[in-house]
Amino acid sequence: MKIAVIIKQTPDTETVVKINDAGNDIVGTGVKYVMSPYCEFAVEEALRTKEKLGGEVVVVSLGPDRVLETIRTALAMGCDRAIHLKDPAYEGGDGQATAKALAAALKTVSPDIVFAGKQAIDGDQSQVAVRVAELAGLAQATIVTALEIAADGKTAKATRRSEGGGEVVELKLPALISCEKGLNEPRYASLPGIMKAKKKEVKELKPAELGLEGQVGAAGAKAKRVKLLPLAERKAGRRIEAETPEAAAAELVRLLREEAKVL
Amino acid sequence: MFELGDQHRMVQDMFRQWCERELLPKVPSLEKGEPPYDLMRQMLDAFGMRDALRASLKKRLSKMGDDGKPLASGDAKGKEGDELESAMRDPLISFLLVKEMSRISPGYATSFGVSTGLAGFNVMAKGTKRQIEKYGIPLVTLDKVGSWCLSEPGSGSDAFGSMRTTAKKSADGGYVLNGTKTFITNGPFADVFVLYAKLDKGDGNPNKAVHAFILERGMTGLSTGQPFDKMGMQDSPTSEVFLEDVHIPAENLLGEREKDPDAARDDTRQNLGHERSGIPAMCLGIIERCYELSMKYAKERVQFGRPILDFQAVQLKLANMYIHYQNVWNGVMRLAWAAREGKPDLAFTCAQKVYCAKAAVEVAMDSIQIHGGYGYMREYHVEKLARDAKMLELGAGTTDINLLQVVRLERERLT
Ligand SMILES: Cc1cc2nc3c(=O)[nH]c(=O)nc-3n(C[C@H](O)[C@H](O)[C@H](O)COP(=O)(O)OP(=O)(O)OC[C@H]3O[C@@H](n4cnc5c(N)ncnc54)[C@H](O)[C@@H]3O)c2cc1C
Repeated sequence: MKIAVIIKQTPDTETVVKINDAGNDIVGTGVKYVMSPYCEFAVEEALRTKEKLGGEVVVVSLGPDRVLETIRTALAMGCDRAIHLKDPAYEGGDGQATAKALAAALKTVSPDIVFAGKQAIDGDQSQVAVRVAELAGLAQATIVTALEIAADGKTAKATRRSEGGGEVVELKLPALISCEKGLNEPRYASLPGIMKAKKKEVKELKPAELGLEGQVGAAGAKAKRVKLLPLAERKAGRRIEAETPEAAAAELVRLLREEAKVL
Repeated sequence: MFELGDQHRMVQDMFRQWCERELLPKVPSLEKGEPPYDLMRQMLDAFGMRDALRASLKKRLSKMGDDGKPLASGDAKGKEGDELESAMRDPLISFLLVKEMSRISPGYATSFGVSTGLAGFNVMAKGTKRQIEKYGIPLVTLDKVGSWCLSEPGSGSDAFGSMRTTAKKSADGGYVLNGTKTFITNGPFADVFVLYAKLDKGDGNPNKAVHAFILERGMTGLSTGQPFDKMGMQDSPTSEVFLEDVHIPAENLLGEREKDPDAARDDTRQNLGHERSGIPAMCLGIIERCYELSMKYAKERVQFGRPILDFQAVQLKLANMYIHYQNVWNGVMRLAWAAREGKPDLAFTCAQKVYCAKAAVEVAMDSIQIHGGYGYMREYHVEKLARDAKMLELGAGTTDINLLQVVRLERERLT
């Protein structure tokens, strides 16, 4: 099996981010970057697929120098080699421009199956995986919580989570699977893995090498973020004062019914 | 030397991720007495270290004489395994693991360090091939839980002079042990006890050499007490160990060779140096986390209409924490360097142990102060670090005992 996984480096959920002066991006300094958690599920599923069916796992990521650290983490978890789309021209793209670059890079791999996170936890757009599948002409299942690939590597059965329920779809490979929490428990990069990761190939590809000059990054974007809105200040909570627990409970029920209107 | 390279950073990240995700939520139940050893095994497995250690140690075993010393054969080494081998022996990687565990639970780190480091290291360093295979490797890989038994009810700082536990030669060439050990980390659950006793050859010589013996749970006459109720390190079970006519074969004398008193004493001293060199890495974990949590809290907590970080009294505490943090880091880096280069420096190790333990207690206490009443609450975590930190001024030789040793060594050096 040729297995590919596309990953994104995002700020750690613990990081307190600040909005820049222009108001359209976050301030990069002092931010701790990690692999987007949904991408961890994707890497894990790619590795499990390889362990079951054999083959090779190629990890692909787009972004500046710092992304190499996240790529190395994926290699330390067990991926075999990597493609890093690194060039100033890739920066400032929208979902479409990024997907175009990733799809072109995937073409150099000709994967039987591609794994991706269902969304990246920074932009939360849930666009890239879907667009990559579209551009690369792959079957796709999004928000997948369980996956079974046939032993012959020709078809797969994916369980999708949907609001309050689920759905099982059968796919013809090659296909793209976007991964949801619950699909698996991602492994940790191991010490032997970290030692090996240093020697694994990380190939850099420029837009020209993908035949995409002038079509990626800001130049290829059709949508542009103009403003980031800070989180609204949370209102202080309300304390219920009552003589007895019974009275407090009754008051809580009254408030839930009359003010919050959730009962 | 003063910065982590890319690989060491990745290793640190891996340790941190695991400790924050897996160890942190377990601390309350561990502090209530749940044994920590299964979690430790899961931890080493998650890092791929248990199999790697086993493979690496088996290889070492095959190139070892019966006395446990490496055979002098200049064999060419395979490349891939080689890097992993050197990583497994890299003292900085061990220190990083100890630091990361200690950020979350110094108690857990203590139990881990005593089992794999003190008990395991001792057998690996001093054992014969047979002992390394039977006890050393299972201890280092945590297949067996180990303890290291020196202290006694009447013998703490004066560990050798006041030691009452004896090993009498028996008619069949083995030994019969009697005595009581106390404050023994992992005592309640240990499978293996590396235990110090005075060898009584029955010749009436009052100058009896201290030797280390390997005992196992299940031996007739060996029993352990209930876990002690402690101020801190509650997730590290501690107890007494009782020996009543415990009969062991000659092959359970560590190293399988009786020594004269001076050689035996030097040997044990060396182990103490090893024991002490792990403490600064524990302190580093405590200090690093307290410092980070304090800075975060001081930014967020608002009093008198502004973050408390705006008050100089709080700033000065943080600056003091920073100084300790950097100094302790530097010391740990130097200890790692000394271990890697094979240049142990006992005076420096003892001095560093003293400085780091004091700094850890001071920083943890200041961290509670910065957190105010919240710092006194379990939920904010710094109170645990403070409780645990205090033990580091007591164990591995009290502060005073380490200071006295510094002067003893320096007095010799500067004649
Ligand atoms: C949680 C915990 C875990 C432990 N785990 C282990 C273990 O696994 N194995 C083990 O063998 N031991 C263990 N110990 C024991 C520890 O090593 C001893 O507590 C320590 O060596 C001090 O001995 P002591 O408690 O008998 O104190 P003492 O020796 O009685 O000291 C009491 C005080 O007198 C001071 N003092 C003593 N002599 C001098 C002197 N000559 N000059 C100046 N001051 C002096 C000391 O500094 C100290 O302040 C553990 C202890 C604790 C608390």
